[in-house]
Amino acid sequence: MSAAPPASRTSRRASLMTLIARAGARIGTLPLSLAAALLAGFGLTALVSDEPLRAWLALLTGPLPELHLGAQGWEARRLVLFGAAIEDAITLALLGLAIALPLRARQFTLGADGQMFLGALAAVATSLALAALPAAIVLPASFLAAMAVGGAWGLLPGWMKLRHGASEIVTSLMLNLIAVQLFRLILSEWMSDPGAGFIATPLLPPAASLGVLIPSTHVSAMLLLVPLLAWAAQAMLDRTSAGYALRAVGQAPDFARRMGLPVARTVMLSTALGGMVAGLAGLHVSHALLGRLPVDLPAGLGYEGLVVALLARNEPRAIPMAALLYAYLRAGGQAMERSTDVPREMVLVIQALIILFVVAERLWPRLAEGLARRRSRRGALPAETVEPAPGAVA
Amino acid sequence: MSATPAALLSLHGVSKRYATGTLAVDQVSLSIAAGQVHAIVGENGAGKSTVMKMLYGLEQPSAGEIRLEGQPVRWRTPREAIAAGMGLVPQHVTLVPSFSVADNVVLGQEPRRGPLLDARAAAEQVAETARRFHLPLDPRTPVSRLSLGEQQAVGLLKALHQGARILMLDEPTAVLAPQQAAALMQALRRYADSGLAVILITHRIAEIREVSDRFTVLRGGRVAGGAATRALSDAQIAALVTGHATAPQRTRASPAPSPRAPVLRVRGLSARDPGGGQTLEDLTLEIAGGEILGVAGVEGNGQSLLADVIAGLTRPGRGQVCVDGVPLSGQGDAGIRAARAAGVAALPEDRLHDGVAPDMSIIENVIANRHAAPPLVRRGLPGWFGALDLARAARETAQLLRDFGVVAASPEAPIRSLSGGNMQKVVLAREIALGPRLLIASQPTRGVDIGACQALHERLRALRDGGAAVLLISADLDELLALSDRIAVMSQGRLVGHFAAAQADARQLGLYMTGLRRDPQARAALDAPFTAVTPAVTAVTPSTLDEDLLP
Repeated sequence: MSAAPPASRTSRRASLMTLIARAGARIGTLPLSLAAALLAGFGLTALVSDEPLRAWLALLTGPLPELHLGAQGWEARRLVLFGAAIEDAITLALLGLAIALPLRARQFTLGADGQMFLGALAAVATSLALAALPAAIVLPASFLAAMAVGGAWGLLPGWMKLRHGASEIVTSLMLNLIAVQLFRLILSEWMSDPGAGFIATPLLPPAASLGVLIPSTHVSAMLLLVPLLAWAAQAMLDRTSAGYALRAVGQAPDFARRMGLPVARTVMLSTALGGMVAGLAGLHVSHALLGRLPVDLPAGLGYEGLVVALLARNEPRAIPMAALLYAYLRAGGQAMERSTDVPREMVLVIQALIILFVVAERLWPRLAEGLARRRSRRGALPAETVEPAPGAVA
Repeated sequence: MSATPAALLSLHGVSKRYATGTLAVDQVSLSIAAGQVHAIVGENGAGKSTVMKMLYGLEQPSAGEIRLEGQPVRWRTPREAIAAGMGLVPQHVTLVPSFSVADNVVLGQEPRRGPLLDARAAAEQVAETARRFHLPLDPRTPVSRLSLGEQQAVGLLKALHQGARILMLDEPTAVLAPQQAAALMQALRRYADSGLAVILITHRIAEIREVSDRFTVLRGGRVAGGAATRALSDAQIAALVTGHATAPQRTRASPAPSPRAPVLRVRGLSARDPGGGQTLEDLTLEIAGGEILGVAGVEGNGQSLLADVIAGLTRPGRGQVCVDGVPLSGQGDAGIRAARAAGVAALPEDRLHDGVAPDMSIIENVIANRHAAPPLVRRGLPGWFGALDLARAARETAQLLRDFGVVAASPEAPIRSLSGGNMQKVVLAREIALGPRLLIASQPTRGVDIGACQALHERLRALRDGGAAVLLISADLDELLALSDRIAVMSQGRLVGHFAAAQADARQLGLYMTGLRRDPQARAALDAPFTAVTPAVTAVTPSTLDEDLLP
């Protein structure tokens, strides 16, 4: 190799790293993180697959629809997976928002799952009860029911924390178990449709339909609601007294307390708001995706909301994009799993890796800082060589 | 500084400059002999703890030399320092609560039998050490069952068990009751007599007097003085410790009006700090409008608790706090809001933690006390979800920054980007913006540069002259003397002196602060008498000189 002495080689490498880190800090780190994540993901794929490129492309482009020039002009095919990604993104965005709002007040609630289940159940019950009425009444009533029940279930951990000092992490997790069992009990005892062939509620009435925006998918008007909600949440945080209190309580609780902000009220507001949005996620699942609620609705989606909130750094305005990214990745993973030899476990690992890279985005500035410090320390070394070797003087 | 007995440990021109450029310790030289108790005295930020960290391998000197038995040493880790015979008992001893005394003491160097830990040997060895050093501790007791004082004894036992020849104790009596403190002092004296060297960091003159052979005063990172303890009188030691050569200037716009109604009235107040060890006992004080009452005291003697009780953060156990004749009540958030509603504003002692939300913008920090009311909340919208008039907030903040001469990149910048002085100006601007009846100013100029300090003092005087009452809590006697109309001295949660600021001086206050004198009747009410000021301190006479030092 080159004849350069090792010292200068390492320093050149260090300066290259510094350069990259600095560039990262300047041009915004998300594209860099994504690129790094994709590269690392490809490396992993290459290790496990005989045809890594095809597998990798399946992950990246699998969810995209194909456009064909047919007899009636352009038409899109393979919309199902694409639609699934969008449907998933809507659920995930709502769940992300449900986690992010309490997190802004430093309330680490994991109860979105239970809130979603009960919100869905309340919405379905309302829609079934009002089946004979016009959509203009059924839909608002169902939305209200989902938000009220989800919000109430979300309020519980906040209230228990303030009243009894119970950790909201523990209580919200426990409430998930209770909510899911309650959901199953109510559904199978009082709401199941004997003609369904499996335990599920009756099909929702036409008046409760949310419509379909993209044909042959379940993408409904909820797609329009999500950015609206994200905007409203951001506006609430940035421009209202309540939002101000919520951020202050989250950022500096002792300061907020000393300033006389209503800390207790704010904490409960944050968890209740989160619950309301999670309730809407439930409504999306029941009304837009399934059309009824089966008793074995899979639990655990609520935790994916945490990933979305992390990706968006708890900024409501970033949540729709973060949810879309994550949902796309999930759909791509399915495509990769179905059409290539990459095992499911590896797909999950690669997905996790990408999330890790994006979430670790804040490493960039720190990396730059660390490198700069190391260099300045090396530069300053000759100035302070007063260091006597231990025991040098007899 | 040459020590007559052979120095066991000595520092020679030791300095420590941190990466930030702060010179925490500047050319400190001192020497400690075996068989001596050496007290190190100084205020916060005087460099005591940095010296200790260097002696324990936690920090390395940037210049100068530490010598152990004449040999230069450089400890890179506490492990090396411990191996060389250093032992540290920190102010808050950290132990594993579920472990027994013996487990805690041998932690990290457990006796083994084969691959297994030998619990019995550990208990026996620790019991032996405890016996040898007369520490009444049962090695089998779980630490969680011990009082704070006993836990400290475990810390001491641990250092001794590790074979310390030089014991360092950081304000050990802060957590102790007087009787425990006396016992500890006796124990330290005994250890020294048996040949150990003891370094005692303390504030209290009584302790210096009681056990130390020599003492060194640190101020601003330098050695400000030191002597053999017995060579000096109490008052001389107090003068050295408080170190006030210059008489502070005093300014008063106008004499206080004579018939005065108190804005703040505190009657027979007793309270206990829920977290820490501070207490208040039967405290009475009043402040009239247009008056500054200074509270002097060594830190940790109840001043912060007093501020918290008046601000509504902590509920008093007994007694009453009235503002403009209306008693404050309520608990938790409601208590704080009641105090704020009554016109109480506060500059908290821990500015960065309690005074600001560091990551929020300057604007957002300024509007904290009026974010929920008009004019900042636009009318016509439902209360709590009312839209904030952000343009107005930005305008008002920009105006405040100009008025107070705050140097800031932009009102949108996070407040943590400001220097200490500028940040404190913003906090003060916010607190007085609503025209408070009472301002509690805790350590208002701590960590603040001189220019900002003067500006802050001007503002406090202006607030007073405008008719507000000010409770000024400060560790800086110059500040107290320069600003206050009256000064109350606190010691161990009680008022021990009440002076007209014009008749007080730092030396006098020092005697009360350090517990050498107390006025058991002291009340800082408006009509209360002042503590009698005793005549000047006796001069050094040959009889007070240490005979060892005579030729």
